[in-house]
Amino acid sequence: MPFDDQTDADDSALLARYARGDAAAARALTARLVPRVHTQAFRMLGDATEAEDVAQDAMMRLWRVAPEWRSGEARVTTWLYRVVANLCTDRLRKRPRGNVALDTVAEPPDPTPSVEARLQSNARASALRDALAALPERQRIAVMMRHFDGAANPEIADRLGVSTKAVESLTARGKKALAAALKGQASALGYKDERHDT
Amino acid sequence: MTHDRNTDADAWVDALLDDVASAPVPKPSQDLMARVLADATAKLPPPGGRAEVASLWHEFVAGIGGWFGVGGVLAAGFTGLVIGLGAIDPSDVDTLFSLGFFENYDSQSGLSTFGWDLEEERL
Repeated sequence: MPFDDQTDADDSALLARYARGDAAAARALTARLVPRVHTQAFRMLGDATEAEDVAQDAMMRLWRVAPEWRSGEARVTTWLYRVVANLCTDRLRKRPRGNVALDTVAEPPDPTPSVEARLQSNARASALRDALAALPERQRIAVMMRHFDGAANPEIADRLGVSTKAVESLTARGKKALAAALKGQASALGYKDERHDT
Repeated sequence: MTHDRNTDADAWVDALLDDVASAPVPKPSQDLMARVLADATAKLPPPGGRAEVASLWHEFVAGIGGWFGVGGVLAAGFTGLVIGLGAIDPSDVDTLFSLGFFENYDSQSGLSTFGWDLEEERL
């Protein structure tokens, strides 16, 4: 039996069906949501094992909340996005800063990048994760939706339930805060900061 | 996705975000999918949805035999209160003394109880 054979039902309707004891809805939601949740967690944490733990934890919270879920109040994906972002932030704040070892990062599918390139890539990801974890929640989520999911401002506004203007402000302030947190690290991370490096 | 890097003073932060976003992400393992589905099955509500959870008050009422039980408890409590209040005559403020506690109290025996009087005689 395929994992998701309910392709025409939206997430909220599937969750309502799960709350009424429909096992097929559980399979469809798992197939649909776990890859998204896992990708988001991996981008934030950079560790495959931790990302899987967060994905399982977030989905467990969804199963628990299903009977009380009120469709129309929030999108399932937006709710999950926030849960994952907060779970990852909690983990990042407990981690010693900036020490992601090479072997904790998943092997990329392409084996050609050199060790130096992988170290550089890991250093960038680690620095960005630390800086993202320090952002206020809404700024962090807006920046992640914009850059990690490629969502346009109107879509982010719709998902967060705020105006497009507010999203512009959130992403601008978020990136300003990131720049401040990463100040002086541009060269070390292989970038040229026009303002600080000249 | 595109960014207007020419007008953004922190263009390198945009580049960093894009580079991290474009890094490869492993697919979720089949083990994870199985674990999540096992959790979903374990938490799956019964067909038709979860039965309404009875409140503590309803459980208490049911536990003492329903509303007849509640009536019995209230009647017994009220009766006890009436009997208790009726045992004391409100016109007699010395009710406690009339119970006889002080009739058997001997002040002399109280003073000699621990042999203090013998010690005083020796002095």
